[in-house]
Amino acid sequence: MLKEELETTAFLARIDVKEDEKEKYLADINGMFDYIEILQEPDVTELNPTTHVTELRNVWREDIVKSCPREVIDQMLNGSPLREGTFYKIQKVIV
Amino acid sequence: MNEILKMKAKELKTKICSGELKSVDAVKACFERVREAEPKVKAFLKLNEEQSLKQAEDVDNKLKTGAKCGQLEGVPIAIKDNIMVKGETMTSASKYLEKYISPYDAMVIEKLKDAGAIFVGRTNMDEFAMGGSTETSAYQKTANPWDIERIPGGSSGGSAAAVASGMVPFALGSDTGGSIRQPAGFCGVVGYKPSYGLISRYGACALASSFDQIGTFAKNVTDAALLTSVIAGKDYRDPVCEPNERIDYANDIDNPDALKMLKIGIPKQQVDYKTDSEISKYFNDAISKMKLEGAEIVEIDVPAYKYVPALYKVIMCAEVSANIATFDGIRYGYRSPNGINLNDEYAKSRAESLGYEVKKRILFGTYVLGAKNYRRCYRQAQKVRTLLINQITEAYKKCDFIFSPATLQMPIKFGETLPEECDIFLTAANLAGLPGITVPCSFTSTGMPMGVHFMGSRFSDAKLFIAARAFEKISGFDANKRPVF
Repeated sequence: MLKEELETTAFLARIDVKEDEKEKYLADINGMFDYIEILQEPDVTELNPTTHVTELRNVWREDIVKSCPREVIDQMLNGSPLREGTFYKIQKVIV
Repeated sequence: MNEILKMKAKELKTKICSGELKSVDAVKACFERVREAEPKVKAFLKLNEEQSLKQAEDVDNKLKTGAKCGQLEGVPIAIKDNIMVKGETMTSASKYLEKYISPYDAMVIEKLKDAGAIFVGRTNMDEFAMGGSTETSAYQKTANPWDIERIPGGSSGGSAAAVASGMVPFALGSDTGGSIRQPAGFCGVVGYKPSYGLISRYGACALASSFDQIGTFAKNVTDAALLTSVIAGKDYRDPVCEPNERIDYANDIDNPDALKMLKIGIPKQQVDYKTDSEISKYFNDAISKMKLEGAEIVEIDVPAYKYVPALYKVIMCAEVSANIATFDGIRYGYRSPNGINLNDEYAKSRAESLGYEVKKRILFGTYVLGAKNYRRCYRQAQKVRTLLINQITEAYKKCDFIFSPATLQMPIKFGETLPEECDIFLTAANLAGLPGITVPCSFTSTGMPMGVHFMGSRFSDAKLFIAARAFEKISGFDANKRPVF
């Protein structure tokens, strides 16, 4: 991984990486690239990928709106670092 | 040490229910031990002494009226700090969730509450369960109770250390790549991870969703089985939770002929890895003991074991990057005051509140999932995962259980690096969705415990408990020996 790739990856992951941290991240992550190489070794062209060991099934339920107690709503909203009324408050999206 | 703390959880519950013992006394005994051990071990992030004594009093009063007795009525338990208990904090040992209050109970907590268990505290762990030493916790380091200069293992190091030092009879943990069974090995307790899909993860903080399972710690196999019976079962809120009938794993666990009928598979690949000489010795003794009991020992061949560390790292990091993406600092958790726009706020909130190990894994995971790299990295890993699963499935045609040391090395001192192959035989169980259990085997010459690991085929959990219990009886390990503080 090159410095530019680290910067792109950090942007995609929305993690602020400071200039003086980049060297350490690069050394550690480049060390992990060996894992990717090892996995190229076996011939697995005929095999299907395993995403989960279970057969994922759709879980159905009736489409009914259930009311949520006021206290639960408040508790959920109170978890937010910033709220206004019944809204989460965030930075301006369109600048 | 107080006699109450030497009892099996099953015995505790029976005595509490019959009125022979008060739940309050059981809880008091735990906190007496906490006062001795905790200043050195630091297993807990939070202790609920007042609240749990009150709960225990309620249990005692309720039972006086002749009320029905739950499966774990009045029995104290510790909970890893990545499982939600309504109205309580859940930090996952991260600064990001420092002020988080759980709005609901995890499914396992609902079941424990119904069963009458008493939550004495929340145990320390690696931040978001990412680590194998509990050193990445943002709050404190937990020590191995047998040698406080050494790690307890991880990520469920707090739960393992709490049980090992006798502060609680059992505890909940979570296991993504060996996070229950590796610290159980290092601390000399039983640690069990179920088949993928046996226990609901609803309300547990996700790490890598295709591996994560909640599991149990106890001082003996029967208690681990009892606790599992309480928390297992279907739950529509975890889509991978299999709709199995409820099984009592602790019932009929004692089978005197259990080993006689067993075929124990030993991976041929074990010799490829550097193993501590005492671990090798006691492991071979364990094999001999099982042979004497009539078990048949067979060699199995799983060449794909060598891909386990790589497979685990690539797939786990990919899933981590997707799961941690939900931590945006908007609905809950830490929000940086330094963001100048929305993207910057996300980036700074994560940068300022997450530890280095977590951020490194997110970055590597984001890379392997990138459009350019996905096929060569993540998809290739998923195919190699299939190869490993196929080889293990083939191996089970020759044996009932795969047997290995729980860890190939003894616990290291703080700050040292654990070799990554130390627990590959445990991680294989997560990659293949299989149940595994660590059982204490022996104390080594330094006075530290070492454990062995049985891995079963999918949903052979009941049989796995029976085999583990049978081994426990012949192991010669003194489960009543406790560290001195």
